[in-house]
Amino acid sequence: MSEPAEFVTIKLNGEEIQAPAGEMLIKVAEDNGTYIPRFCWHPRMKPVGLCRMCLVEVETPRGTALVPSCVQPVADGMAVETGSPVALKAQEGVLEFLLVNHPLDCPICDRGGECPLQDQVMSYGPGESRFVEEKRHYEKPVPISDLVLLDRERCILCARCTRFSDEIAGDPLIEFQNRGNGTEIFTFPDEPFASYFSGNTVQICPVGALTAAPYRFRARPWDLLTIESTSPFHTEGSRITVHASQNQVLRFLGVDNGLTNQGWLSDKERFGFEFIGSPDRLKMPMIREDGEFREASWGEAIGLVAARLKEIVERSGPDAVGAIGGAQGTNEDAYALSKFMRVAVGTNNLDAQLDDGLNPDFLVGVGSRARIQDLESAKTILVWSADLKEENPILYLRVRRAARELDATLIVVHPARTGLDDLADHKFGYRPGDGADLLADLAAGTQDYAPALDALQDGPVVVILGRTGLSEDGGLAEAVASFARDLPAASIMPIVRRANTFGALDMGVAPSLLPGRIPARGASGAIIELWGKVPATRGLDTAGMLAGLVGGELEALIMVGADPVRDVPSGSKAADALRAADFSVAIDLFMTDSAAMADVVLPAEGFTEKEGTVTNLEGRVQKVNRIVPGPGQARPDWSVLDGIAESMGSPIGLPSSEAIAKEISTVATAYEGVSWDLLEGEAREGAVVPIGDVRQPLEYIAVNAEQPARTKGLALHLARTLYDDGSAIRHSLSLAKLAPGMTAGLSPDQAVDLGVEAGDLVTVSIGSVTFACPVRIDRALADKTVAIPFNQPGIETLDAAASVLVKAGGSS
Amino acid sequence: MTDTARWSEESEALAESVMAKYPQKRSALMPLLYIAMREDGYLSEAGMRRVADLVDLEPAQVSSVASFYTMYKLEPVGKYLVSVCTSISCWLLGGDEVLEAVEASAGVPSGETDESGVISPEHVECIGACGGAPAVQVNYELIEGLTPKKATELVEWLNAAQPATLNGDEMQALFGGERSFDWAINETNDATGPYPAFQPHGTIAALDRS
Amino acid sequence: MTDHPLILTARMHAHPESSHTIATYEATGGYTALRTALDMGRDAIVEEVKAANLRGRGGAGFPAGVKWGFLAPARPAYLVVNGDESEPGTFKDRQLMERDPHQLVEGTIISSLANEVNHAFIYIRGEYPKSARRVQAAVDEAYAAGYLGANILDSGYDLELTVHLGGGAYICGEETALLNSLEGRRGEPRLKPPFFPAVRGLYMAPTIVNNIETLSNIPWIINNGGNAYSAIGPEDSPGRRMCSISGHVNRPGNYEIVEGITWRELIYDVAGGIRNGNELKAWVPGGASAPWFVPAEHLDTEVTKAAIDSNGSMTGSGAVIVMDHTTDMVAAAERLVRFFAHESCGLCTPCREGTTWLDMILRRMLAGHGRASDPDVLYDVSDNISPGVTWPPKMTTICPLGPSAVSPVASLLKHFPEEVAAAVERGTQVPVSIGIRS
Ligand SMILES: Cc1cc2nc3c(=O)[nH]c(=O)nc-3n(C[C@H](O)[C@H](O)[C@H](O)COP(=O)(O)O)c2cc1C
Ligand code: SF4
Ligand code: SF4
Ligand code: FES
Ligand code: FES
Repeated sequence: MSEPAEFVTIKLNGEEIQAPAGEMLIKVAEDNGTYIPRFCWHPRMKPVGLCRMCLVEVETPRGTALVPSCVQPVADGMAVETGSPVALKAQEGVLEFLLVNHPLDCPICDRGGECPLQDQVMSYGPGESRFVEEKRHYEKPVPISDLVLLDRERCILCARCTRFSDEIAGDPLIEFQNRGNGTEIFTFPDEPFASYFSGNTVQICPVGALTAAPYRFRARPWDLLTIESTSPFHTEGSRITVHASQNQVLRFLGVDNGLTNQGWLSDKERFGFEFIGSPDRLKMPMIREDGEFREASWGEAIGLVAARLKEIVERSGPDAVGAIGGAQGTNEDAYALSKFMRVAVGTNNLDAQLDDGLNPDFLVGVGSRARIQDLESAKTILVWSADLKEENPILYLRVRRAARELDATLIVVHPARTGLDDLADHKFGYRPGDGADLLADLAAGTQDYAPALDALQDGPVVVILGRTGLSEDGGLAEAVASFARDLPAASIMPIVRRANTFGALDMGVAPSLLPGRIPARGASGAIIELWGKVPATRGLDTAGMLAGLVGGELEALIMVGADPVRDVPSGSKAADALRAADFSVAIDLFMTDSAAMADVVLPAEGFTEKEGTVTNLEGRVQKVNRIVPGPGQARPDWSVLDGIAESMGSPIGLPSSEAIAKEISTVATAYEGVSWDLLEGEAREGAVVPIGDVRQPLEYIAVNAEQPARTKGLALHLARTLYDDGSAIRHSLSLAKLAPGMTAGLSPDQAVDLGVEAGDLVTVSIGSVTFACPVRIDRALADKTVAIPFNQPGIETLDAAASVLVKAGGSS
Repeated sequence: MTDTARWSEESEALAESVMAKYPQKRSALMPLLYIAMREDGYLSEAGMRRVADLVDLEPAQVSSVASFYTMYKLEPVGKYLVSVCTSISCWLLGGDEVLEAVEASAGVPSGETDESGVISPEHVECIGACGGAPAVQVNYELIEGLTPKKATELVEWLNAAQPATLNGDEMQALFGGERSFDWAINETNDATGPYPAFQPHGTIAALDRS
Repeated sequence: MTDHPLILTARMHAHPESSHTIATYEATGGYTALRTALDMGRDAIVEEVKAANLRGRGGAGFPAGVKWGFLAPARPAYLVVNGDESEPGTFKDRQLMERDPHQLVEGTIISSLANEVNHAFIYIRGEYPKSARRVQAAVDEAYAAGYLGANILDSGYDLELTVHLGGGAYICGEETALLNSLEGRRGEPRLKPPFFPAVRGLYMAPTIVNNIETLSNIPWIINNGGNAYSAIGPEDSPGRRMCSISGHVNRPGNYEIVEGITWRELIYDVAGGIRNGNELKAWVPGGASAPWFVPAEHLDTEVTKAAIDSNGSMTGSGAVIVMDHTTDMVAAAERLVRFFAHESCGLCTPCREGTTWLDMILRRMLAGHGRASDPDVLYDVSDNISPGVTWPPKMTTICPLGPSAVSPVASLLKHFPEEVAAAVERGTQVPVSIGIRS
């Protein structure tokens, strides 16, 4: 918590400077243009002062002393020499000590060329080695997880990786082992460094001791092109740099946007880059003919799509067409989809969420919105959402930090065990379906809930809410929001997980909204002036569209970066719907399970191949950039949609991504002034599109509505895992194998009732789908509940609403 | 935390009582490691997993602590751990020669265990018996004032007699010489394995409180 | 020597068979100091200890009463008694624990009372199971007798006392490493600042760490008054202290001395002189970390804190290691350096790498592969651990262990350059490397 900084005056190398009291000397020096060499210090971790590289001379009452500047807070009147002979000798000495056991294999080291140790040696280091004894030897790189390799000979024992894993990620799986000169970093036998955040240690390792399997030896740093961009994987909008060589994206690195990811990435967003260069990417338009796909030209494909859509609109009206998707692309793509559906087709049947999110009006319209940064000053945090570790890993890190480092009181409500449970001051579980009862108890502060309710009176409070699982009604989150609204100094952060969902909703890819969070019904203003009349009736959402296809009210479906067969919580219904469709077209990167059922499949450009903007879960708009061309004839979504509209004879007039951006900032009132120039200039950390502001036309008042009746038999908790069988992961070879696979989570008592133990096989039936899988014991689960991970490889997607049965035994 | 294999009821009860002696249960980590050693004769992976479970840590954190200290043996050792001091005061009076004698009669170098799994010689730093140098410990029971010859006899005796429990006073009387100070009366204890015999950690049955 | 009564070892000399039992302890005035202290109250106890000018016996020699005065006001506070005694040459705390454990327990209870502590710990090195057994037995007896536990002697004062056994690591004698160890962590020292035990110690609470011997003095001080204690011996380092003498002397052992005698008296009278009538070559005056003394310069100087300090060494743990003329001083230095290299916790670079490097050079010299550059490299590596190679040492390290390894090297280079030169001479000048990890 930042109190108003008091300033002190210190003398840095003879010059008087002002610095905030208590700030570490190393930081003060750096802010004033003096770089003190360092290895263990990292601005996002607590200083430990152990490498001793940053020694400087400080004047004390008892003469000058050598002090490590990374653990020395500045004090008034302090006189510091960072480059005195004594300080330099000490620094050179430390460097020599580090090199004593460091192999001289820079030419074959992944870090060569961007190694702080190498750099230090160049600028300070001793010349010839005086060390004639034998160096420490260890087995050369050993894999410590599926993603990370460790070369202990190169390690300089700075403890950055161990501190990150323990303090920041909460996965203390790599630790110092042994002591003294035999100290090494290692895992426990048979306990790999299986952390969702392991890649960060590779990035912060100051030498080449930790390397990433997905990019070892792929390229030398000096061959790399680099751009800054925004990660497309989570709704938090992590800032990254993209590195490419010879039109191949080779890696992503985290960038320290202090307001969002603070430099960290989940492994999914760090290593998910692999899908971009996948050989399976679609390269040519494909048309189904006699049941088989054949390649086609863009002209032919677009002509066919336009003709079929036009025919259906003319025959059955515009509401016979629907579109799902749009959350995987840029805001510009989403805007094009929104405009295409309203203007070229004439319907509100469009939905960026795949039946797994929340009411769009609520998501973009609920007032008192929290920003991620509010977690820094929160006294109490209530998380009643999906397991953040699985779905919103960056938010997970920020909540962890708030609870662990900033002493916020953490309350977690979730039916199963979550990654935050260990840090939570209060954890409440419930049987899926019983959430409303729990909310009533919490609001009333009955016995067990009284301390938590007390904590919630201690503001500022940040309430993070979302659907805890796919089998939960979205109305519960709204009920929690209505409770939270009455807490003192509370702000609310409704969340969903899929990439640019918030951007797509802001662009009006929702049955009820136009760009700029304008309700479609009764819209007026700039947007109507430009778009003309738009349909006023609320359109169908994804579930409605899928049902409509089966029922015949809907005849054509456009899928934009959407794979309903894998992604909606009742995949078999989606497949039925696609089979029933008169016409369907998929604009996608891959031949997904859904695309494979379409009539036309159009190859899209993906992340790193196009320029635009995205909006994160707090309304922060950031730029994404292009560094490689798309494969084959792939085109950006907006351009495909513009082409179809043109061919339908109802042009939407979108000539370029940048032109769309300008159009957005004129018609979407909330996006006024958010230009690419701004985002690349002074708003490098992104510009937050205000929510609940005067320019926010929609104010959604959440209510505590009646919840659906609870399940009688076994309750199903169907929840996502970070790694699953989604298309980006399926095509990122390093990650694909990390999906945990099917398990049946049971409470200990439930397991006893069934006569099974952890690891035993059980047979699970969910609706029409039956499979065998091992039991996992989850002590946080209520009895009469089974927890099933969603979208695992090899298993059909499951219907969250179906009834579930579990019995002991089974064969896999 | 995963469920790990429980120890004997006696050890589990000891673990409970040890944890209760500290304001925070992580503080019981080191005593628990000794209990784990008593269970398996050394500090096994399973033992560390059990300790991790008891104090809510990851196994890597437990091995990080265990491997820091020299007395937690992460590999199996013989029935008798014979620790020979080779630090300065013992060295001045022939500690190296005592070590050589122990290694020779055990037939294996320091750090290893003889074929029959009886003797594990090791050289250690000062064991606080410098006034009675050279000094040796067998399963942490002290003998002071050894000579190479007496050291050889000690190893031979251990091999031949293979006592189930060791008594420092008895060994001192048989093989020792000059002591750092008078130890006062003999007392019964049972050093039963290569870990210190200290009751709260479960290694001795009872103290003679005469 | 002097006619002052023995303070620490009186009982064990008088009752060699039973000095460790509560019966003998009580029969010889034991636990009367506790009763007195309970009546005196906290501040009066601290005043007595301050008046005694009782210096810490763990190595740093800081006055105990002053240390207690620094205890931060937050509660709970803890007292941790440092029984990790592991510095080569030192075996005095072992005798105090094994032979008079109740004296320690009573001292601990009184010190806890003085510092408003309700939970104290005695941390005993793992290689001392016998000490731990004796102390634990004494603790059990004290609980049974009502000297420990809830409402001690009906005073309303509560104290839990836990005996903790270490796992084999000299560095845990360093007080902050000891606290980490007691928290179930690696015995790595903490940074001071900000982790001064008196403010942020065990579990980040205010904590007093005192040595076994230091606290064993407390009952006597309470019984006889601080002034009686400070009247013994030199003003600056009064009282009696345990001196462990080992090495090439005729009568090694622990001696409870009063400072002020000369080294000649200590070595030749108290410890019986050098074995076989050999010549004295050098001695370590205060534990393995202390710079060496040599007869020509130091034999007739005083054994007082002030004199030892001004002669460029320290009282340290009070251990005196005596070496006769047969000693190979390069080898002796190597033995000492090897110890510190083995015991380095490995946290900070200069100590982790530097101590091992020093040891490697010395071993190579001893193996007959000395190089002409070795003396310079030895000095410069020392300088990079302890800038200036001065006394008291400066350090590039986190704790004083690293610089401790410099003491023997600096002493060797200073007092025995000809032996270093001879070792270099023996060298073949063929560059070799020998692996010496063990
Ligand atoms: C490397 C190192 C080892 C130490 N070892 C011991 C020890 O074994 N026993 C001890 O009492 N103090 C030891 N000390 C000193 C302690 O840090 C601490 O100063 C002492 O326990 C305080 O007690 P005292 O004030 O009563 O002397 C050591 C210090 C250092 C730097
Ligand atoms: S692996 Fe890298 S980050 Fe970890 S301690 Fe070694 S050098 Fe530091
Ligand atoms: S000086 Fe040595 S023992 Fe002390 S902290 Fe540094 S590495 Fe550890
Ligand atoms: S950067 Fe300061 S000690 Fe490592
Ligand atoms: S030097 Fe061997 S016991 Fe101290």
